[in-house]
Amino acid sequence: MQRSAGYEALRFGLILLFVALTLIPTLWMVSMAFKPIAEWSATGSDLTWWPKNPTWDNFAFIFGQSSSELIVSLDRTAGRPILASLLSASFGTVIAMVAGTTAAYGLSRFGSGANLPLALIQLRLFPPMAVMIPVMIMWAFLGLTDTWWGLALIYGIVTLPFAFWLMKTFFDDMPREIEDAALVEGCSRFRVFVKITLPMMRPALASSALFVFILNWSDYLIALLLTTRDWVTIPVYMASLSSSMTGQLYGAKAALGLIAAVPPVIMGIAIQKHLVRGLTFGALKE
Amino acid sequence: MTEIRLSNLGKDFASFTALADMNMTIADGEFMALLGPSGCGKSTTMNMIAGMLEPTTGSIEFDGRDVRGVPMARRGVGFVFQNYAIFTHMTVWDNLAYGLKARGTPRAEVARRVEETASLLQLSPLLKRRASGLSVNILQRLAIGRSAIVEPAIFLLDEPLSNVDAAFRAVMRTELKQLQRQFKQTMIYVTHDQLEAMTMADRIAVMDHGKLLQVGTPLDVYNNPQNTFVAGFLGSPGMNLMQGHVRQDGSSTAVDFGAHGSITVSDTAIEAAAAKSDGRVQFGFRPEAAAPSQDGALRFPVNFIERIGSRTIVHLGDPDNAIKIIVANQTELPRVGEVLSLDITKGSERFFEIESGQAVGRQSDGLH
Repeated sequence: MQRSAGYEALRFGLILLFVALTLIPTLWMVSMAFKPIAEWSATGSDLTWWPKNPTWDNFAFIFGQSSSELIVSLDRTAGRPILASLLSASFGTVIAMVAGTTAAYGLSRFGSGANLPLALIQLRLFPPMAVMIPVMIMWAFLGLTDTWWGLALIYGIVTLPFAFWLMKTFFDDMPREIEDAALVEGCSRFRVFVKITLPMMRPALASSALFVFILNWSDYLIALLLTTRDWVTIPVYMASLSSSMTGQLYGAKAALGLIAAVPPVIMGIAIQKHLVRGLTFGALKE
Repeated sequence: MTEIRLSNLGKDFASFTALADMNMTIADGEFMALLGPSGCGKSTTMNMIAGMLEPTTGSIEFDGRDVRGVPMARRGVGFVFQNYAIFTHMTVWDNLAYGLKARGTPRAEVARRVEETASLLQLSPLLKRRASGLSVNILQRLAIGRSAIVEPAIFLLDEPLSNVDAAFRAVMRTELKQLQRQFKQTMIYVTHDQLEAMTMADRIAVMDHGKLLQVGTPLDVYNNPQNTFVAGFLGSPGMNLMQGHVRQDGSSTAVDFGAHGSITVSDTAIEAAAAKSDGRVQFGFRPEAAAPSQDGALRFPVNFIERIGSRTIVHLGDPDNAIKIIVANQTELPRVGEVLSLDITKGSERFFEIESGQAVGRQSDGLH
């Protein structure tokens, strides 16, 4: 069908608009991270889209506590929150993936009835605030508040339903014959799981883990309630980047935001092959 | 190299009965084909023999030893799946070696047997390749090789050729039969393709709706179907079936088909069978057992002439009695709409009861 030039122009115009809506804030953050204070401050005289005098000052500020241009100083650097986020989000992902994958496998192969999987997803229907106060009390009792491992534990619990449901769908879709073939060859169930099922599930594991990691990585509420000083995470730390004298420190926030975007992007690139390939079990022609 | 005995074997899934009361003995080294349409219970039977399913009733014995409850890893069976179930994350070599490694075979022995099997199945040049990018024909060879390499006493194949192309299927039919002659395993082959069953099997077990209908050599099952289902299922086209009335014709007995003519019969069992349903009986003959003749016993209008290359199929009759016959290409035929008269080859007439569909008179050697 031949489309009119006007239609094409409108189509591309709309696409451009939506791409801009998505990309400009991100690009703005990137550009702001390299601007000196005069270019990002609300009172600054040199507001520009593109940094005129690119600088590492914002990074130096969040890692070095003080800046030649800013009269404020921070009570701590970004190093510790980045470590806190990395540790809690990674170990939280490990907990969710190990527990979720094994539970999903068990229920997919040997489970009966639909209640247990549904009960797991129901955890997510609960408003987080309703459970966070009891969790705070329990964590305080266990001495887990303001520790990265306490945070990792609750992250693992909170994201377990996602890991479970994603992996269960993948296990349900995997043809049983492949496992039966290995079983009939004389393998034990456990060996089949480790040597056949998990290796074939690598793409599924990778994409589920990335999803769970991003959820953990971007959490604000839980970290806000369960950490106070030593192990605050990047989002909580970012909220503290302001002062009564200067207001919001947008430049510092942009620099931190840029750093925070790095791990998920690296993970995404690392498993891109699996994400693109998806789950194709080439051996099966139905 | 094992005899398999199935006694009163049955399997229910919730309220659905997939298999009921199956009794069959498969001899040591025999090639048995389980043949039937989808959902007839043939795969269920096979999965129970392999140990993937536990029977609801009855027992399975290997050489007199009841194997119920024995996990499939220790039954000593090889299984080739319809969808191959190849381990795509491994190389061809690893796939072939898998069963041997699982059994703890020494490494040198594994390498030797992988080479041997690969050359037998023409997989040698592909040993280093990953299994994920291979064609279906190769995957099928690999699946057979992976099961055959451990030399199981019982070899089970679940529609292994249904996904491969027609030319390769013909090749594999011959190769599978040779493979079995070489290893002398007891082989059970599930298929809905009668050509595979007829060409490869020592005996065929025809099944439908969870019931075993007939077991016999390919020719016995083909020539002497025990009921109308087997008669219609085997053969392409299947056996012609038409209803007739039994009447006395002087000293002899005849089956009358009204406008289509009549045939004389001499078997008293036919009269007895007809007596059960108002003198009616089902008459059957193979499409190739009828020949056009000047004053034939039966007459039908010609509907359609189908030339399939090697032979000609003539479609005859009316909706109540749709008849097909196969004749040589050069046979002189009337035009469509005209009447063809034909004779049935002596000795190839078959009769069935109307109600039960069971064969009358001549019997094959029965269920075993």
